[in-house]
Amino acid sequence: MKYTKEMRLHWTKWVWLALMAIGCTGLDKPLPILGPREVDGADTLYHTIAPFRFVDQDSAVVTNADFTGKIYVADFFFTSCRTICPIMKTQMLRVYEATTEMPDVLLLSHTIDPEWDTVALLHDYAERLGVESRRWHFVTGQKDSIYKIAQTSYFATAMEDRSEPDGFIHSGAFLLIDRRGRIRGKYDGTKEEEVNRLIGDLKRLRRE
Amino acid sequence: MSKRWIGLVVVLWVTACSPIDPKLKQYLVEGERLYVLHCSNCHQRDGQGLRRVYPPLAGSDYLKENLPRVICSMKYGLQGEIIVNGIMYNQAMPGVPSLTELELAEIATYLYNSWGTQTGLIDARRIGPLLDSCARPRPRR
Ligand code: HEC
Repeated sequence: MKYTKEMRLHWTKWVWLALMAIGCTGLDKPLPILGPREVDGADTLYHTIAPFRFVDQDSAVVTNADFTGKIYVADFFFTSCRTICPIMKTQMLRVYEATTEMPDVLLLSHTIDPEWDTVALLHDYAERLGVESRRWHFVTGQKDSIYKIAQTSYFATAMEDRSEPDGFIHSGAFLLIDRRGRIRGKYDGTKEEEVNRLIGDLKRLRRE
Repeated sequence: MSKRWIGLVVVLWVTACSPIDPKLKQYLVEGERLYVLHCSNCHQRDGQGLRRVYPPLAGSDYLKENLPRVICSMKYGLQGEIIVNGIMYNQAMPGVPSLTELELAEIATYLYNSWGTQTGLIDARRIGPLLDSCARPRPRR
Protein backbone atom coordinates (compact mmCIF):
# COMPACT_ATOMS: atom_id res chain seq x y z
CA MET A 1 0.00 0.00 0.00
CA LYS A 2 1.26 3.43 -0.84
CA TYR A 3 1.65 6.03 1.89
CA THR A 4 -0.47 8.93 0.68
CA LYS A 5 -0.68 12.53 1.79
CA GLU A 6 -4.19 11.97 3.13
CA MET A 7 -2.98 9.15 5.32
CA ARG A 8 -0.32 11.36 6.84
CA LEU A 9 -2.83 14.10 7.55
CA HIS A 10 -5.03 11.55 9.21
CA TRP A 11 -2.17 10.36 11.37
CA THR A 12 -1.01 13.82 12.49
CA LYS A 13 -4.56 14.70 13.49
CA TRP A 14 -4.49 11.89 16.05
CA VAL A 15 -1.12 12.99 17.39
CA TRP A 16 -2.47 16.46 17.97
CA LEU A 17 -5.53 15.14 19.71
CA ALA A 18 -3.44 12.93 21.97
CA LEU A 19 -1.13 15.82 22.86
CA MET A 20 -4.08 18.00 23.73
CA ALA A 21 -5.57 15.32 25.93
CA ILE A 22 -2.31 14.89 27.82
CA GLY A 23 -1.94 18.63 28.12
CA CYS A 24 -5.36 18.90 29.71
CA THR A 25 -4.96 16.10 32.22
CA GLY A 26 -1.75 17.55 33.50
CA LEU A 27 1.63 16.96 32.14
CA ASP A 28 2.02 20.00 34.39
CA LYS A 29 5.19 20.32 36.39
CA PRO A 30 5.09 18.53 39.75
CA LEU A 31 5.00 20.78 42.79
CA PRO A 32 8.43 21.57 44.23
CA ILE A 33 9.64 19.80 47.38
CA LEU A 34 10.53 22.51 49.87
CA GLY A 35 13.14 22.61 52.61
CA PRO A 36 16.75 21.49 52.91
CA ARG A 37 17.77 18.22 51.31
CA GLU A 38 20.67 15.82 51.51
CA VAL A 39 22.10 13.88 48.63
CA ASP A 40 23.15 10.42 49.68
CA GLY A 41 24.74 8.64 46.75
CA ALA A 42 22.02 8.27 44.17
CA ASP A 43 19.27 9.14 46.65
CA THR A 44 18.03 12.55 47.68
CA LEU A 45 16.73 12.77 51.22
CA TYR A 46 14.07 15.45 51.47
CA HIS A 47 13.04 17.38 54.53
CA THR A 48 10.03 15.81 56.25
CA ILE A 49 7.85 16.80 59.23
CA ALA A 50 9.43 15.49 62.45
CA PRO A 51 7.51 13.00 64.64
CA PHE A 52 4.83 14.70 66.75
CA ARG A 53 2.22 13.77 69.29
CA PHE A 54 -0.59 16.21 70.08
CA VAL A 55 -4.16 16.05 71.37
CA ASP A 56 -7.12 17.22 69.29
CA GLN A 57 -10.52 18.74 70.09
CA ASP A 58 -11.96 15.28 70.83
CA SER A 59 -9.11 14.47 73.27
CA ALA A 60 -7.80 12.00 70.69
CA VAL A 61 -4.05 11.61 70.34
CA VAL A 62 -2.90 12.79 66.93
CA THR A 63 0.48 11.73 65.51
CA ASN A 64 2.21 11.53 62.13
CA ALA A 65 0.64 8.10 61.71
CA ASP A 66 -2.76 9.77 61.28
CA PHE A 67 -1.38 11.65 58.29
CA THR A 68 0.69 9.06 56.44
CA GLY A 69 -0.79 8.42 53.05
CA LYS A 70 -2.83 11.64 53.43
CA ILE A 71 -2.34 15.10 52.08
CA TYR A 72 -2.80 17.80 54.70
CA VAL A 73 -2.77 21.53 55.20
CA ALA A 74 -1.22 22.81 58.46
CA ASP A 75 -1.35 26.19 60.18
CA PHE A 76 -0.68 27.86 63.55
CA PHE A 77 -3.23 30.04 65.31
CA PHE A 78 -4.99 30.64 68.63
CA THR A 79 -8.66 31.18 69.33
CA SER A 80 -8.41 34.50 71.17
CA CYS A 81 -6.32 36.14 68.47
CA ARG A 82 -7.74 39.29 66.96
CA THR A 83 -5.25 40.07 64.23
CA ILE A 84 -4.78 37.58 61.43
CA CYS A 85 -6.24 34.32 62.80
CA PRO A 86 -9.88 35.20 62.14
CA ILE A 87 -8.98 35.80 58.50
CA MET A 88 -6.93 32.61 58.43
CA LYS A 89 -9.85 30.65 59.80
CA THR A 90 -12.20 32.18 57.22
CA GLN A 91 -9.76 31.11 54.52
CA MET A 92 -9.11 27.64 56.01
CA LEU A 93 -12.86 27.17 56.04
CA ARG A 94 -12.75 27.70 52.28
CA VAL A 95 -10.15 24.93 51.98
CA TYR A 96 -12.39 22.75 54.16
CA GLU A 97 -15.39 23.42 51.92
CA ALA A 98 -13.34 22.81 48.77
CA THR A 99 -12.18 19.40 50.00
CA THR A 100 -15.45 17.89 51.26
CA GLU A 101 -15.32 15.26 48.54
CA MET A 102 -11.66 14.39 49.16
CA PRO A 103 -11.32 11.82 51.95
CA ASP A 104 -7.53 11.80 51.53
CA VAL A 105 -7.19 15.48 52.48
CA LEU A 106 -7.02 16.64 56.13
CA LEU A 107 -6.53 19.94 57.93
CA LEU A 108 -4.33 20.41 61.00
CA SER A 109 -4.51 23.63 63.04
CA HIS A 110 -2.08 23.96 65.97
CA THR A 111 -2.80 26.39 68.77
CA ILE A 112 0.23 28.38 69.83
CA ASP A 113 -1.51 29.39 73.06
CA PRO A 114 -2.04 25.97 74.69
CA GLU A 115 -2.48 27.46 78.17
CA TRP A 116 -5.66 29.25 77.08
CA ASP A 117 -6.75 26.95 74.26
CA THR A 118 -7.62 23.82 76.20
CA VAL A 119 -9.11 20.74 74.58
CA ALA A 120 -12.56 21.81 75.79
CA LEU A 121 -12.15 25.26 74.29
CA LEU A 122 -10.90 23.88 70.97
CA HIS A 123 -13.83 21.47 70.95
CA ASP A 124 -16.26 24.32 71.41
CA TYR A 125 -14.48 26.38 68.77
CA ALA A 126 -14.58 23.62 66.15
CA GLU A 127 -18.21 22.96 66.90
CA ARG A 128 -19.07 26.62 66.47
CA LEU A 129 -17.18 26.65 63.21
CA GLY A 130 -19.37 23.70 62.26
CA VAL A 131 -16.53 21.42 61.15
CA GLU A 132 -15.94 17.70 61.64
CA SER A 133 -13.00 16.58 63.77
CA ARG A 134 -12.48 13.68 61.39
CA ARG A 135 -11.34 16.10 58.68
CA TRP A 136 -10.09 19.08 60.63
CA HIS A 137 -7.98 18.52 63.75
CA PHE A 138 -7.42 21.41 66.16
CA VAL A 139 -4.50 20.33 68.30
CA THR A 140 -2.86 21.44 71.50
CA GLY A 141 0.12 20.08 73.42
CA GLN A 142 3.33 21.08 75.14
CA LYS A 143 4.02 24.68 74.26
CA ASP A 144 7.68 23.96 73.53
CA SER A 145 6.86 21.07 71.19
CA ILE A 146 4.40 23.18 69.26
CA TYR A 147 6.83 26.07 68.84
CA LYS A 148 9.63 23.71 67.94
CA ILE A 149 7.69 21.85 65.26
CA ALA A 150 6.46 25.17 63.86
CA GLN A 151 9.98 26.48 63.50
CA THR A 152 12.02 23.43 62.60
CA SER A 153 9.55 21.28 60.68
CA TYR A 154 7.11 23.67 59.03
CA PHE A 155 9.44 26.71 58.93
CA ALA A 156 6.59 28.85 60.23
CA THR A 157 7.19 31.54 62.84
CA ALA A 158 5.50 31.09 66.18
CA MET A 159 6.66 32.60 69.44
CA GLU A 160 5.43 34.43 72.46
CA ASP A 161 6.04 38.17 72.53
CA ARG A 162 4.22 40.23 75.09
CA SER A 163 4.95 43.45 73.25
CA GLU A 164 2.79 42.32 70.33
CA PRO A 165 -0.91 43.33 70.43
CA ASP A 166 -1.90 39.67 70.68
CA GLY A 167 1.00 38.52 72.83
CA PHE A 168 2.37 36.33 70.04
CA ILE A 169 4.23 36.65 66.79
CA HIS A 170 3.13 34.15 64.22
CA SER A 171 3.00 33.79 60.50
CA GLY A 172 -0.27 33.35 58.70
CA ALA A 173 1.22 30.59 56.57
CA PHE A 174 -0.66 27.54 55.33
CA LEU A 175 1.65 24.61 54.60
CA LEU A 176 0.78 21.92 52.09
CA ILE A 177 2.17 18.52 53.13
CA ASP A 178 2.22 15.48 50.87
CA ARG A 179 1.53 11.81 51.60
CA ARG A 180 5.13 11.31 52.68
CA GLY A 181 5.33 14.23 55.09
CA ARG A 182 7.18 16.56 52.73
CA ILE A 183 6.36 20.27 52.35
CA ARG A 184 5.08 20.97 48.86
CA GLY A 185 3.83 24.53 49.17
CA LYS A 186 3.66 27.55 51.45
CA TYR A 187 0.86 30.11 51.13
CA ASP A 188 -0.24 33.28 52.89
CA GLY A 189 -3.40 32.16 54.67
CA THR A 190 -4.66 35.72 54.97
CA LYS A 191 -4.93 36.24 51.19
CA GLU A 192 -7.77 34.88 49.15
CA GLU A 193 -5.73 34.55 45.92
CA GLU A 194 -2.98 32.63 47.71
CA VAL A 195 -5.56 30.25 49.12
CA ASN A 196 -7.03 29.78 45.63
CA ARG A 197 -3.55 28.75 44.52
CA LEU A 198 -3.34 26.32 47.45
CA ILE A 199 -6.63 24.71 46.46
CA GLY A 200 -5.34 24.32 42.89
CA ASP A 201 -2.05 22.83 44.09
CA LEU A 202 -3.90 20.42 46.36
CA LYS A 203 -5.74 19.01 43.39
CA ARG A 204 -2.46 18.65 41.46
CA LEU A 205 -0.84 16.90 44.40
CA ARG A 206 -3.67 14.38 44.59
CA ARG A 207 -2.94 13.31 41.01
CA GLU A 208 0.71 12.60 41.75
CA MET B 1 -42.40 67.91 29.57
CA SER B 2 -41.59 64.20 29.45
CA LYS B 3 -41.95 61.94 32.47
CA ARG B 4 -38.19 61.60 32.72
CA TRP B 5 -37.77 65.34 33.19
CA ILE B 6 -40.39 65.45 35.88
CA GLY B 7 -38.56 62.65 37.65
CA LEU B 8 -35.26 64.51 37.48
CA VAL B 9 -36.75 67.71 38.85
CA VAL B 10 -38.32 65.83 41.72
CA VAL B 11 -35.04 64.10 42.56
CA LEU B 12 -33.11 67.39 42.51
CA TRP B 13 -35.71 69.07 44.65
CA VAL B 14 -35.69 66.30 47.25
CA THR B 15 -31.90 66.10 47.48
CA ALA B 16 -31.54 69.86 47.64
CA CYS B 17 -33.95 70.07 50.55
CA SER B 18 -32.44 67.21 52.56
CA PRO B 19 -28.72 67.28 51.93
CA ILE B 20 -26.82 64.48 53.67
CA ASP B 21 -25.36 66.04 56.77
CA PRO B 22 -21.63 66.59 56.11
CA LYS B 23 -20.83 65.65 59.69
CA LEU B 24 -22.70 62.37 59.31
CA LYS B 25 -20.87 61.73 56.07
CA GLN B 26 -17.51 62.37 57.71
CA TYR B 27 -18.36 60.04 60.62
CA LEU B 28 -19.40 57.35 58.17
CA VAL B 29 -16.20 57.55 56.14
CA GLU B 30 -13.96 57.45 59.21
CA GLY B 31 -16.17 54.86 60.86
CA GLU B 32 -15.88 52.55 57.90
CA ARG B 33 -12.09 52.91 57.85
CA LEU B 34 -11.86 52.09 61.56
CA TYR B 35 -14.29 49.21 61.18
CA VAL B 36 -12.16 47.64 58.47
CA LEU B 37 -9.06 48.16 60.59
CA HIS B 38 -10.35 46.91 63.95
CA CYS B 39 -13.44 44.79 63.43
CA SER B 40 -13.76 43.29 59.96
CA ASN B 41 -11.21 40.54 60.64
CA CYS B 42 -13.79 38.81 62.76
CA HIS B 43 -17.16 40.25 61.84
CA GLN B 44 -16.23 40.29 58.13
CA ARG B 45 -16.29 43.20 55.75
CA ASP B 46 -20.03 42.77 55.12
CA GLY B 47 -20.90 42.42 58.83
CA GLN B 48 -22.08 38.83 58.42
CA GLY B 49 -19.75 37.32 61.06
CA LEU B 50 -18.36 33.79 60.83
CA ARG B 51 -20.60 30.81 61.53
CA ARG B 52 -21.27 30.56 65.29
CA VAL B 53 -17.80 31.87 66.18
CA TYR B 54 -18.19 35.57 65.39
CA PRO B 55 -21.74 36.98 65.54
CA PRO B 56 -23.19 39.09 62.73
CA LEU B 57 -23.51 42.85 63.09
CA ALA B 58 -25.65 43.26 59.99
CA GLY B 59 -29.23 42.79 61.09
CA SER B 60 -28.22 42.04 64.70
CA ASP B 61 -30.99 42.50 67.27
CA TYR B 62 -28.35 42.66 69.99
CA LEU B 63 -26.69 45.62 68.30
CA LYS B 64 -29.99 47.41 67.85
CA GLU B 65 -30.99 47.10 71.51
CA ASN B 66 -27.69 47.60 73.34
CA LEU B 67 -25.95 50.80 72.27
CA PRO B 68 -24.23 51.40 75.64
CA ARG B 69 -22.95 47.83 75.82
CA VAL B 70 -21.77 47.93 72.22
CA ILE B 71 -19.76 51.10 72.88
CA CYS B 72 -18.24 49.58 76.02
CA SER B 73 -17.36 46.30 74.32
CA MET B 74 -15.50 48.06 71.53
CA LYS B 75 -13.20 49.66 74.07
CA TYR B 76 -13.09 47.07 76.87
CA GLY B 77 -14.05 43.82 75.18
CA LEU B 78 -16.95 41.46 75.67
CA GLN B 79 -17.07 38.06 77.36
CA GLY B 80 -19.55 35.38 78.23
CA GLU B 81 -22.68 34.08 76.58
CA ILE B 82 -24.71 36.43 74.44
CA ILE B 83 -27.65 35.77 72.16
CA VAL B 84 -27.78 37.36 68.73
CA ASN B 85 -30.84 36.76 66.56
CA GLY B 86 -31.70 33.70 68.62
CA ILE B 87 -28.25 32.10 68.39
CA MET B 88 -25.94 31.77 71.39
CA TYR B 89 -22.34 32.95 71.07
CA ASN B 90 -19.63 32.55 73.66
CA GLN B 91 -16.18 33.60 72.63
CA ALA B 92 -14.18 36.45 74.11
CA MET B 93 -14.03 39.58 71.98
CA PRO B 94 -10.95 41.66 72.77
CA GLY B 95 -11.46 45.40 73.17
CA VAL B 96 -9.38 48.13 71.60
CA PRO B 97 -8.55 50.34 74.61
CA SER B 98 -6.81 52.96 72.48
CA LEU B 99 -10.03 53.99 70.71
CA THR B 100 -10.96 57.61 71.52
CA GLU B 101 -14.48 58.88 72.16
CA LEU B 102 -14.61 60.35 68.68
CA GLU B 103 -13.44 57.09 67.10
CA LEU B 104 -15.98 55.07 69.08
CA ALA B 105 -18.70 57.45 67.90
CA GLU B 106 -17.54 57.12 64.30
CA ILE B 107 -17.53 53.31 64.39
CA ALA B 108 -20.92 53.26 66.14
CA THR B 109 -22.34 55.64 63.55
CA TYR B 110 -21.06 53.34 60.83
CA LEU B 111 -22.58 50.24 62.51
CA TYR B 112 -25.94 51.90 63.07
CA ASN B 113 -26.17 53.27 59.52
CA SER B 114 -25.03 50.35 57.41
CA TRP B 115 -26.40 47.08 56.10
CA GLY B 116 -29.95 48.31 55.88
CA THR B 117 -30.26 50.28 59.12
CA GLN B 118 -30.38 54.06 59.35
CA THR B 119 -30.31 55.45 62.83
CA GLY B 120 -28.47 58.70 62.14
CA LEU B 121 -25.44 60.26 63.75
CA ILE B 122 -24.17 59.06 67.12
CA ASP B 123 -22.36 62.13 68.39
CA ALA B 124 -18.95 61.87 70.11
CA ARG B 125 -20.37 63.89 73.04
CA ARG B 126 -22.70 61.02 73.87
CA ILE B 127 -19.83 58.56 74.33
CA GLY B 128 -18.24 59.83 77.56
CA PRO B 129 -21.31 59.27 79.76
CA LEU B 130 -21.92 55.87 78.13
CA LEU B 131 -18.36 54.79 78.89
CA ASP B 132 -18.76 55.80 82.53
CA SER B 133 -21.48 53.20 82.83
CA CYS B 134 -19.23 50.35 81.68
CA ALA B 135 -18.13 47.58 83.93
CA ARG B 136 -14.49 47.32 82.93
CA PRO B 137 -13.33 43.74 82.75
CA ARG B 138 -9.81 43.09 83.86
CA PRO B 139 -7.44 42.33 80.99
CA ARG B 140 -6.74 38.66 80.45
CA ARG B 141 -2.97 38.73 80.48
C1 HEC C 1 -11.12 38.89 67.54
C2 HEC C 1 -12.38 38.93 66.89
C3 HEC C 1 -13.24 40.17 67.08
C4 HEC C 1 -12.92 41.46 66.76
C5 HEC C 1 -11.62 42.00 66.20
C6 HEC C 1 -14.10 42.23 67.07
N1 HEC C 1 -15.10 41.43 67.53
FE1 HEC C 1 -16.99 41.96 68.06
N2 HEC C 1 -17.37 40.12 68.72
C7 HEC C 1 -16.49 39.05 68.65
C8 HEC C 1 -17.06 37.94 69.37
C9 HEC C 1 -16.40 36.58 69.53
C10 HEC C 1 -18.28 38.37 69.88
C11 HEC C 1 -19.23 37.56 70.79
C12 HEC C 1 -18.86 37.89 72.23
C13 HEC C 1 -19.41 36.93 73.26
O1 HEC C 1 -19.61 35.78 72.96
O2 HEC C 1 -19.59 37.38 74.41
C14 HEC C 1 -18.46 39.74 69.43
C15 HEC C 1 -19.59 40.51 69.68
C16 HEC C 1 -19.80 41.77 69.19
C17 HEC C 1 -21.04 42.52 69.29
C18 HEC C 1 -22.32 42.09 69.95
C19 HEC C 1 -23.01 41.00 69.22
C20 HEC C 1 -23.57 41.37 67.86
O3 HEC C 1 -23.29 40.65 66.91
O4 HEC C 1 -24.28 42.38 67.74
C21 HEC C 1 -20.83 43.72 68.65
C22 HEC C 1 -21.82 44.85 68.50
C23 HEC C 1 -19.46 43.73 68.22
N3 HEC C 1 -18.87 42.53 68.52
C24 HEC C 1 -18.88 44.79 67.56
C25 HEC C 1 -17.52 44.85 67.25
C26 HEC C 1 -16.85 46.03 66.78
C27 HEC C 1 -17.52 47.36 66.49
C28 HEC C 1 -15.53 45.71 66.62
C29 HEC C 1 -14.40 46.63 66.21
C30 HEC C 1 -14.14 47.74 67.08
C31 HEC C 1 -15.38 44.31 66.96
N4 HEC C 1 -16.60 43.83 67.37
C32 HEC C 1 -14.20 43.60 66.88
C33 HEC C 1 -15.28 39.03 68.01
C34 HEC C 1 -14.60 40.15 67.57
